[in-house]
Amino acid sequence: MDNSISQDTKVKVPQPNVFNLLKPYFKLVFFLILMALLGNGVNLFLPKIIASNIDAFSSGHFEIRTLIIEFLGAALAIFLFNNIQGIIQVFASERVAKDLRSELSNKISRQSYSFILKSNPSKLLTNLTSDIDSIKMFVSQAVVTIISSFFVIIGACVLLLQINWKLALTVIAIVPVIGGAFFLILTKARPLFKRSREIIDMLNKVINESIMGASLIRVINSQQPESVKFLSINTEARNLGMSILYLFATLIPVIMFVSNLAMVTILALGGHFVVLGTMSLGSFAAFNSYLALLIFPIMMIGFMSNLIAQASASYRRIYEVLKAPETRETGSITGNIMGNIQVKDVSLFYDGKPILKNISFDIKAGSKTAIIGPTAAGKSQLLYLLTNLILPDSGTIELDGTILDQYRKEVFHSQIGFVFQDSVVFNLSLRENIAFSDQVTDASIQKAIDTAELSDFIASLPNQLNTVVSERGTSLSGGEKQRIMLARALAVNPKILLLDDFTSRVDRSTENKILCNLEKNYPGLTLITVTQKIAPIRNFEQIILLMEGEVIAIGTHKELKESSSEYVQIYESQRSTQHYEV
Amino acid sequence: MEIGGSGQGKSSLAAFRKLFSLIGGERHNLIVASIAIFINSALSLLGPFLIGHTIDTYIQTKQYHGVLVFSGILLVLYSASFAVNYYQMRLMGGIGLRMLYNLRNAIFDKLQELPVDFFNQNKAGDLISRVNNDTDKVNQFFSQSLMQFIGSIFTMIGSSIFLISLNPVLGLAVLLPAFIVWIFTRIVSPWVKRKNAESMKSVGGLSAEIQESLANFKVIIAFNRRDYFRRRFEEANQQNYDKSILAGIANNTLGPVYNLASNVGQLIVLGLGIYLILQGRFSLGLLISFIAYVNNFYHPLRQIAALWANFQVAMAGWDRISRILSLKSNLPVIENANTEDSCCYLSFSDVSFNYPSGKEVLHHVSFNLKRGKTYAFVGPTGGGKTTTASLIARLYDPSKGTILLENKDIRSYSREERTRKIGFILQEPFLFTGTVRENIVYGNDDYLNITNQQLTEEIVSAGLESLLIRFENGLDTKVHTTGDGISLGQKQLIAFMRAVLRKPELLILDEATSNIDTVTEQLLEVILEKLPPSTTRVIIAHRLNTIENADEIFFVNSGNVIPAGSLDDAVNLLLHGKEEN
Repeated sequence: MDNSISQDTKVKVPQPNVFNLLKPYFKLVFFLILMALLGNGVNLFLPKIIASNIDAFSSGHFEIRTLIIEFLGAALAIFLFNNIQGIIQVFASERVAKDLRSELSNKISRQSYSFILKSNPSKLLTNLTSDIDSIKMFVSQAVVTIISSFFVIIGACVLLLQINWKLALTVIAIVPVIGGAFFLILTKARPLFKRSREIIDMLNKVINESIMGASLIRVINSQQPESVKFLSINTEARNLGMSILYLFATLIPVIMFVSNLAMVTILALGGHFVVLGTMSLGSFAAFNSYLALLIFPIMMIGFMSNLIAQASASYRRIYEVLKAPETRETGSITGNIMGNIQVKDVSLFYDGKPILKNISFDIKAGSKTAIIGPTAAGKSQLLYLLTNLILPDSGTIELDGTILDQYRKEVFHSQIGFVFQDSVVFNLSLRENIAFSDQVTDASIQKAIDTAELSDFIASLPNQLNTVVSERGTSLSGGEKQRIMLARALAVNPKILLLDDFTSRVDRSTENKILCNLEKNYPGLTLITVTQKIAPIRNFEQIILLMEGEVIAIGTHKELKESSSEYVQIYESQRSTQHYEV
Repeated sequence: MEIGGSGQGKSSLAAFRKLFSLIGGERHNLIVASIAIFINSALSLLGPFLIGHTIDTYIQTKQYHGVLVFSGILLVLYSASFAVNYYQMRLMGGIGLRMLYNLRNAIFDKLQELPVDFFNQNKAGDLISRVNNDTDKVNQFFSQSLMQFIGSIFTMIGSSIFLISLNPVLGLAVLLPAFIVWIFTRIVSPWVKRKNAESMKSVGGLSAEIQESLANFKVIIAFNRRDYFRRRFEEANQQNYDKSILAGIANNTLGPVYNLASNVGQLIVLGLGIYLILQGRFSLGLLISFIAYVNNFYHPLRQIAALWANFQVAMAGWDRISRILSLKSNLPVIENANTEDSCCYLSFSDVSFNYPSGKEVLHHVSFNLKRGKTYAFVGPTGGGKTTTASLIARLYDPSKGTILLENKDIRSYSREERTRKIGFILQEPFLFTGTVRENIVYGNDDYLNITNQQLTEEIVSAGLESLLIRFENGLDTKVHTTGDGISLGQKQLIAFMRAVLRKPELLILDEATSNIDTVTEQLLEVILEKLPPSTTRVIIAHRLNTIENADEIFFVNSGNVIPAGSLDDAVNLLLHGKEEN
């Protein structure tokens, strides 16, 4: 068994089998099935007890004590087995769900940024929530139900055949009839189920966007079109539900009718046997009871097969994430970095279109470099490359003469501070938001806060650093959020600081103060900043002008003013306000 | 505006009654369906009675002809039951689906009606889980269980009537275990429901956690905090596990108890029935019918036990949803107060504002904006600029004072009227998943059925074509809500085009161009110049070049808005304002 599986892995993509999930929980599942079989086994004997007592009564040997002891004993045993089964069932399914969730999240946590982007965060959210839910259902219901259903069907059939094989065969004939009806309807329903899952996803998307874009919707008064959008999808969901309903509205009455037909058969044929004297009245009663026992499991198998199909689809989606190639830890260098950066002939593509084309430049440790250029020139992507968040499609980036990949990731990231363009505030206290890395000391938090000019702001808060800021940071102003980002980046005492359009939300005087603080508190820092404004970068060692993914010019402010017409154009666009500078 | 956690819910009955208010026009269908269910139950209950009768009068007396006659009668009966059953299922299922449909619409419309405030105070992840997950739980009950639930109740009632009328003593004795179980159920139900509510809450917490972490994954990587992600997730996962175990155990208590009751019921029939036959007060045929009826009574009861947990889950979900549904918008449209005399297009008089968290962020602010002028609001971050803009757009109402728009209280304008007059480009641009075109015309009634060509003409006449060429495929460029595929600057360009094409009388730009390069920004200025001369512009910015053409500059700092006089004054205030304060 194990052999064949390992071979499969070698040969090609192994077909994920949702039953494989249960292997590590063999003991739990075993006890679960055992309890279910015991409960159902004893249950099968109840009609027999009834039958034998009726017959005993007819022949005058009836004794009430035997009845009570036998029957009550059986009933209590069933009660016990059912309870144990229920508890194991809960534990097994929740354990599987929890472990699978952990495994999945661990896997995701080891992945690269580009993997997350490619697999789309909302899809991963579905993997971690509803996909796991359907596997949970599979564990808690499908496995046990199917095994015990088969057990009951076979057991009931055997017992029926024992009582009267002729009558039994006519009654058992309903099993394939009901099974066939189920198969037919489920085959028809399956594509509908799939479609309805898709529609639910669409509904969720509209809901999500209406929550995330709540402000915009209110500003442009588009509540109505949103509702219309929702209504049309919801209507489709309803119509689809109706189609599924009509299928099942046919199926269930058919099953009821077929089992009622069996009832009539028992009466007519069984009655005939009783009249002839070849069957007892007790057996006749037992037949009725077993028929009732027989119908339910057949229906359950039908429903469960559907559940298994759903769980398999979910597991396949999860499996894809679990088996995705991992970002390998290539680096082994752990030493301190200096900050000399060499970008050599780097190109980057997104969806096949070039974002950066053959970029090359050098940055000296301790120097200040600015990257400027129009919207969508590829500036942010360049910063992402420098932090190893994404990898170039061609070319290399070296730090102190070594390719970035050669550094151990933790060591590398702990020496680099990155302030993203969009403000990311976690639903944590300010302290945790700033000391986001675990090697941060109180002193470096304080230094970072002072440098980011946040001291006054924090002092004004009711709980100072322990104030919890809300998820999307809505209780903070744009500038406050950006300065928190800066403090977070500085708190790790970085050797290299990357700022992505940091000053866009921070006013001039604060910005000046921050730049001064940086020089004072973090001497020797290599600064790389993406910016729109020329004024603050005039004395930088190097300005890189980026346009449509290409380096147009590199030099100091003075050099570029003389050599690059594009730079001059940007400069001129800001010139009218130059005299307001201090 | 914050929605509570689990809290003390109302009784199941009250919540259920509220749920049924969603039935609306279905009353007629529901009555017909109930009649169908009743007929169906009656037909299927007649079966065992006829079988018992046949045994007593024909089988035991060995008259096979009678057996065949009654088999025929049964066949007719079951055929009728088949037809009624089919009809009833379609009808009931339809009612359930339509209720769900109405419920979803009600929630969505409520979400649209609630103010921005509500979304700021509740975690997006939790809200989404509430709307998606909890509705789904209610959905499962409606689409799968409701029919069974009602059907089971009818069958039970029918069976108990047959049981009691066939033999009152035995009937009542058989029902005794059910009665005990009923009391037991009443006692444990609140506990079951509470455990389910807690479990749902932890699911909400878990998905909020995942959402936050995944959406900000680049920060987690850049700061080397994968362990943080793992730890936070593990915590939420563990908590969810604990709560789910409890809820699962709670949901599993009823099944075995009902099963036991059913078996004890059978035992009573058998023991007491035989005793009664010995006394000559009962027959063997009736005993067999009785056993069938006991099954008919206890089988649906067991089904109800299974459904009861579903029902509790649905009720817990419904509780959480109905807490959203019962929220009222705190931005009602008021009856128009008297037209007040004012010279201006928009004026703030003595406006104060504090966020629900309590801190007052604007203090007694008064200013006037004249039609067709350009105003700049400058000042340090956190000074109250965005709050002021949000008040102009009525995303919030002031806590004190009034805002007049064209001499009428801004609260007296309908939503349509107000948003048509006031355009607002938000600090954080938001895009819907779709194309650039869809995002530009979104929510704009004037462009409802506009062709691409007409739209291009509109864009050209507004001078926006130079912005559009920055998108690979022009109007048809695909964009995504969570997309990192397009830059913040590009998002801002789309937001800008969207706002300009709405042709508002008052246009607010809240740092709307902060991530756009200065060359493009000059283009935007030209576009703003081309707006009709009656357009009033409110520009919030740090960059001085964007405000140098303003007719008047306001300096916003520490919740105060003061006229700054000239640009030089503004610069002075900006550079030194903070110290003076």
